[in-house]
Amino acid sequence: MQNLTESTGQSATAAGSTFKQRAHIKLHDVKVQRAMKNFNLAGARARAMVELDNLEDIRTDAAGIRDRALADLDVWLERFETEARRRGTHVHWAETHADINRIVLEIAAKASVRKVIKSKSMVSEESHLNAALEANGLKVVETDLGEYIIQLRGETPSHIIAPAIHLNRDDVADLFAEHHKTPRNNDPAVLTMEARKFLREHFLSGDMGISGGNFLIAETGSVYLVTNEGNGRLTTTMPRVHVAITGIEKVVPTLEDVSSVLRVLTRSATGQSISNYVTILTGPKRAGDTDGPDEMHVIIVDAGRSKLLGTDMQEALRCIRCGACMNHCPVYQNIGGHAYGWVYPGPIGSVLTPNYIGLENAIDLPHAATLCNQCGVVCPVKIPLPDLMRKLREKQVDRGLRPWQERFGLRMWAWFAARPGLYGLAAKIAARVGRMAGGSSGLIHKLPGNGWTEERDFPAPSGKTFRELYAARKAGR
Amino acid sequence: MLLPATAVPTPRAQRINFLLSMSMSRPPLRVGLFVTCLVDLMRPGIGFAAIRLLEAAGCEVVVPATQTCCGQPAYNSGDRKAAQELALKVVREFAGFEHVVAPSGSCAGMIRAHFAELLADFPVELAQAEKLIASTRELTDFLVNVAGLTSVPGRLEGAVTYHDCCSGLREMGVKTQPRALLAQVPGLELREMTTPEYCCGFGGMFSVKYGEISARIADRKCDDIAATGANAVVLGDLGCMLNIEGRLRRRGDTTTRVLHVAEVLAGTEGT
Amino acid sequence: MSARDNILGRIRAARGAGPTVTAAERAAVDERIAKHPIGVRPAMPWETVPRFIEQCVRMSSTVDRVAAVGDVPAAVERYFDDANLGKRAVVWPEIAQLDWSATGVVVEARPAAGPDLVGITGVHLGVAETGTLMFLSGARTPAATSLLPETHIAVVPIGRIVRAMEEAWQQTRDEIGDLPRAVNFVSGPSRTADIEGLLQIGAHGPFRVHVILVG
Repeated sequence: MQNLTESTGQSATAAGSTFKQRAHIKLHDVKVQRAMKNFNLAGARARAMVELDNLEDIRTDAAGIRDRALADLDVWLERFETEARRRGTHVHWAETHADINRIVLEIAAKASVRKVIKSKSMVSEESHLNAALEANGLKVVETDLGEYIIQLRGETPSHIIAPAIHLNRDDVADLFAEHHKTPRNNDPAVLTMEARKFLREHFLSGDMGISGGNFLIAETGSVYLVTNEGNGRLTTTMPRVHVAITGIEKVVPTLEDVSSVLRVLTRSATGQSISNYVTILTGPKRAGDTDGPDEMHVIIVDAGRSKLLGTDMQEALRCIRCGACMNHCPVYQNIGGHAYGWVYPGPIGSVLTPNYIGLENAIDLPHAATLCNQCGVVCPVKIPLPDLMRKLREKQVDRGLRPWQERFGLRMWAWFAARPGLYGLAAKIAARVGRMAGGSSGLIHKLPGNGWTEERDFPAPSGKTFRELYAARKAGR
Repeated sequence: MLLPATAVPTPRAQRINFLLSMSMSRPPLRVGLFVTCLVDLMRPGIGFAAIRLLEAAGCEVVVPATQTCCGQPAYNSGDRKAAQELALKVVREFAGFEHVVAPSGSCAGMIRAHFAELLADFPVELAQAEKLIASTRELTDFLVNVAGLTSVPGRLEGAVTYHDCCSGLREMGVKTQPRALLAQVPGLELREMTTPEYCCGFGGMFSVKYGEISARIADRKCDDIAATGANAVVLGDLGCMLNIEGRLRRRGDTTTRVLHVAEVLAGTEGT
Repeated sequence: MSARDNILGRIRAARGAGPTVTAAERAAVDERIAKHPIGVRPAMPWETVPRFIEQCVRMSSTVDRVAAVGDVPAAVERYFDDANLGKRAVVWPEIAQLDWSATGVVVEARPAAGPDLVGITGVHLGVAETGTLMFLSGARTPAATSLLPETHIAVVPIGRIVRAMEEAWQQTRDEIGDLPRAVNFVSGPSRTADIEGLLQIGAHGPFRVHVILVG
């Protein structure tokens, strides 16, 4: 089992051992704060969704498509495997994160791979694949622009589709000048062209391309990729070997089903009606083909996912990794992705991380939300994220993982609230004490041991409870 | 945003409408008022404002004396057992009413959106709660959509802005109802924020556990309020009220008033 | 037990199914695949060709239209001159068969390589809903030609434009049967917003996508 603090070790900017400490650092990081203020994929989504006149029906349908596959997941996976093998794809199964890295290394060794180019893969972030490959002497190059930037900086992604959103153009300009030995220029257009030039060399010389897989299509045994930059196409077309890594939950029955889900995926993610490239890969180079890899591999990953099946957490497996929940989350918008401490930030991260690395290793995450449900109403596959976070909170209480003060406080309060006479008396006293503490301003500036007054006053009670005043009024009548 | 002049009746017409609504001849609706524990402790005036409005709408208001809390703090903290105990208590106290109303979208939402799931292990009580769950409404929603209140006793000179509290908005569909009623308040001008639906950062225990993040979220709300130039922010949930007021004051804003919609509509704000 | 059997076994146990997949379960999967029903879609109250053009432009492609396929070389030359792209292109074999003699454009029928600046292709289909070009990889339709050059020109007969993705898949099943190695849906030039969220056209794929409609 991974420990949350260790897993962030490779990120210099995610220092701090608890969520709260990391959030504190991010809240006082001027650059992160400026970047987060500029970040507005939520607006793009809202404009794009106007085009779907029956959005609620489409979301319900998309959730149904995901549920259908999850309901008989093994049968769909078996079908995917059969169809993929029939077309020459090697299908591998990874039970753990360590298995992913071992399988990739075995494929690389057999094919004499020296350089690996990567398109975005969040599952490979889970397993720290890059570090494992580099430890075995392989050169690894991330090719998604954002991933390339954070790889050069030795960081982890701060967003699942906008990995370098916490950085600004000057950070990138400094980084490229240092690594490319080119004159410093902070124009994003120039920086993008510079990355294109340097990465093109890698595309043409890479031996193995590693991609994720947005979906696996059971009908045809295909890997389905949704990208904008074109690096996904290059990664899966140019090298001799292509390895796609994705979770067991990503299987979708048919090409029609995935077409339905795509309509809400790209709109939810970036506000696009479609991404620039949608690529469906079905096996290695065929007879007569002039391009494509000689070998195609798919690694189907469990690594904690099957534990969610058949439980009250199963709905989280519908996730199609659009990022809309984090784009709309008031907490994420203020602290960014690194504070969450593991691969998936924002509301979906607060649900997946405790499930994948252990409830006890992510004590804060299920509580790191106001439960405003903005995430739930934008989720394209209707994952009830606040409900799932609340259920995780219940599991923490059941397992005695919450601090004793909190459990004791809740118990005391509930005990009083169940006894109206005592409760009324206690409220009467609290109202008076609070009124006095508020003084002439009616504001309490410091509540001991309470985070409320760290950066906020507490308006004092007005002095008498409703029940007292109401009883007095009734008596007076 | 300025409302069209025709939407606001003259004070005289307003008084006449009000008197008419008082004397309507239909049998009164019997309403159980769920005061909420925060109103009880912090701002009893909101409870009396709610009574005044419900009576103005021709309702007979009953306030069960033993009521305390809906159980939401325990529910959202993961203490299911405590939440169930309090939910069962609410069911015992309110199951007999045709209508249950709370001056809070979040407490009404607790009953309406979560009691069924919370009480799934108590089939007998859940059956008793069925009507309660279906008939619990947030105050302004009840006034507009059930009681059909078209004029209100309150009056307020000046510009206000309205904050949509998350539970009321996303669990109870409270959006147009408070605005329709505020439009009936003589002298009141409603100026919308850029993002009135954005969370204020309260989140119950979240505001205590993660005070720093919570305050930062509240900042965005405070900025949005300030940008409207309104003299007051009006809203329908006490948690959000305390949070927004607390952050405004700490930021040094001593003038922007934070008012519950019931007080504004009843004309009892500041009492 | 293999990793595969462990994973599939865990899934079956989690959903309360017996240890082995039943014939009924396989039949249900077969049926869904055989029927491949179309899901809930938005209203599509538009004509396919105008919609295709409008959406191509929205995705930052440029669009030209000619009456007949014989007019394509002249249209290509016009585009070359306007965009100042020189006179050379690598093309799919079907494009090389057009009569280029009246133009100054030099075409080479081979898959694109790293240094090639312009690639000209046909399409398998066009998708009207999103202004998307659909390509199937193959010996005579190399994927690299629409990918490596900075400029990609696609020749699209209007009879090949279908309403949406779902129609594209059905027509592909009807015409081709099984899928080729790669199906690529391309909607405009490549882009990124990875630096400060600012949109940049031309990341790793083509900077320009020019569509020549025929018919």
